[in-house]
Amino acid sequence: MFVRALALVVLVPVLMYSAVLCLVGLGLLILPLELRLLRRLADGERDRLGRWAAASTPPAGPQARRRLMAVLSDPATGRDLRWAAVMTVAGTALGLIGAALFLFPAAVLVLVGLWWLFPADDPIRLILNVPIDSWGSAVYAGVPQFLLSVLLALVGPPLLARLAASVSRWLLAPSAAAVLAERVSTLDRTRTGAIDAHGNELRRIERDLHDGTQARLVSLAMQLGLAERTLSADPAAVGPLLTRAREGAEEAMAELRDVLRSVYPPILADRGLAGAVSAVVARCPVPATVELGELGQPGGPGGPRGLGDVPAQIEVAVYFAITEALTNVAKHAHAGSVSVTLARAGGTLRAEITDDGRGGAAEGGGTGLRGIRQRIEAVDGVLRVQSPPGGPTVITVECPCGS
Amino acid sequence: MRIVIAEDNALLAQGLTALLEALGNEVLATTEDAESFVAAAVTHRPDVAVVDVRLPPSFTDEGIRAALRAREHVHGLPILVLSQYVEDTYARELLADGTGVGYLLKDRVARVDDFVDALHRVAAGGTALDPDVVRQLLATRGNPLSRLTEREREVLALMAQGYGNSEIADRLVVTERAVHKHVGNIFVKFDLPPEDSGDRRVLAVLTHLGAPQRRSRRPGPEAD
Repeated sequence: MFVRALALVVLVPVLMYSAVLCLVGLGLLILPLELRLLRRLADGERDRLGRWAAASTPPAGPQARRRLMAVLSDPATGRDLRWAAVMTVAGTALGLIGAALFLFPAAVLVLVGLWWLFPADDPIRLILNVPIDSWGSAVYAGVPQFLLSVLLALVGPPLLARLAASVSRWLLAPSAAAVLAERVSTLDRTRTGAIDAHGNELRRIERDLHDGTQARLVSLAMQLGLAERTLSADPAAVGPLLTRAREGAEEAMAELRDVLRSVYPPILADRGLAGAVSAVVARCPVPATVELGELGQPGGPGGPRGLGDVPAQIEVAVYFAITEALTNVAKHAHAGSVSVTLARAGGTLRAEITDDGRGGAAEGGGTGLRGIRQRIEAVDGVLRVQSPPGGPTVITVECPCGS
Repeated sequence: MRIVIAEDNALLAQGLTALLEALGNEVLATTEDAESFVAAAVTHRPDVAVVDVRLPPSFTDEGIRAALRAREHVHGLPILVLSQYVEDTYARELLADGTGVGYLLKDRVARVDDFVDALHRVAAGGTALDPDVVRQLLATRGNPLSRLTEREREVLALMAQGYGNSEIADRLVVTERAVHKHVGNIFVKFDLPPEDSGDRRVLAVLTHLGAPQRRSRRPGPEAD
């Protein structure tokens, strides 16, 4: 806090000076560096404000760009500068008043104790304008004055600090319009991702059916045609042909089952998300418990599957996320137990998978976490992985699913 | 045998009827939904019923529930459930209702001999589980299995599908006495009371493996 204030007091004049130096070119080089430093200070302050205030101010993130114009075009830079300028003056003033209030009781004590040093015709008067000219008046006027000053010292500085924090927050926080613009650009990005993911999925299904099932059925029809022709010429040779044809049909069925499972797992169609997740949990090699919260009204708008109206693609994404997460736990976590919770709060479907394993789960490294992230982000959801070394690992999935 | 079929897909219902009649069975009724299936089962009292899992009106797991409902009316009615995919949850629900139940992939019908074999076993009050279901059930709780030998695991898988000792002996090309010994060892390793009657032992083993949230009393080495 004090370090930041000092840094600010130093940095603001330096910034002004550098801005002037831009006229001779040198500023163009050093100003971006200074602005990056300022961003770190401002974000430190944003972080602090976020920690002890209800209305949090998310850090704007480090300045990534190096060119002056790019740095200046970042809307947060303007807020950083505004904050630096105002807080250098206002922050210093408030800080001084706070310090004065803090020292006030000591001053009262000293002055009241030393009343006899003042001339008799101009006795010392403190807060209440009561002259103190004897030990008696020092007691009956000095004690309340001392108590009053203690009260001020206790109440004043926190109030001032809160005032400084609100000024700081007002200067640092993005405006509602800026927040909205940010949200729109995020939505834009995820929507594009979702459309791409959907397209890739359609192409994958088409390819699987075309290259696999369709090809197998064609070859099956050929084998049967051949058997038909062989029947009149050489009946004995038909047996093996038919056997091969039946085996081909079985392979086609197995393949088709896999494709269907990847499109929409049949257990979801049969039992809805809650039933499907319970089945997966029951199948987990690590002892697992499941806790299903409110998901929707049975027989409600979602029909007999009792899921309210969770869209199918979100069901699938969440189902695969939980399946994959449990597979990870079984394969990598060395966990003694795992718990799954699944509940819906308003328009958000939330799943949490917690295991007491060794932690240290990272994306990549064949854990399937990246696949989960892609699936969840494709439906505009959020995936959070907390996995400190030594565990526990908590994987949280949140998907918007209409209200 | 006298058979009732519940299958809403006309193509499959015809195929199944043709197949069963060609093998000398009598198909008493072909029903298209759960309601009429239960009624037909009560009216005809067939030797065995063949039921599709997905039936109208809900097209979910109606067939499983219809099978259980029919067995409430006709106690111990043998039922073979067919499905386009297998789900161990359904197998557990059927098995929880006792014996004389089967659960197979529709694909298996193409292997006519195996299919007929399963049908007869169910009609005789035994069980018939699809190898895929058994795989799922056995994969559920890895730990107790890790204490079995390779051979014991093979015996267990066949036992779970519903085969008796002599059939297991034929399939594994060993003597029946050897199978008997393996079965005894499996029960000892699972801390189960020895069961000799074929169907009760299947239930005992599957219940032991499939009971959710229950661990074996002697935790085995952690399977990676």
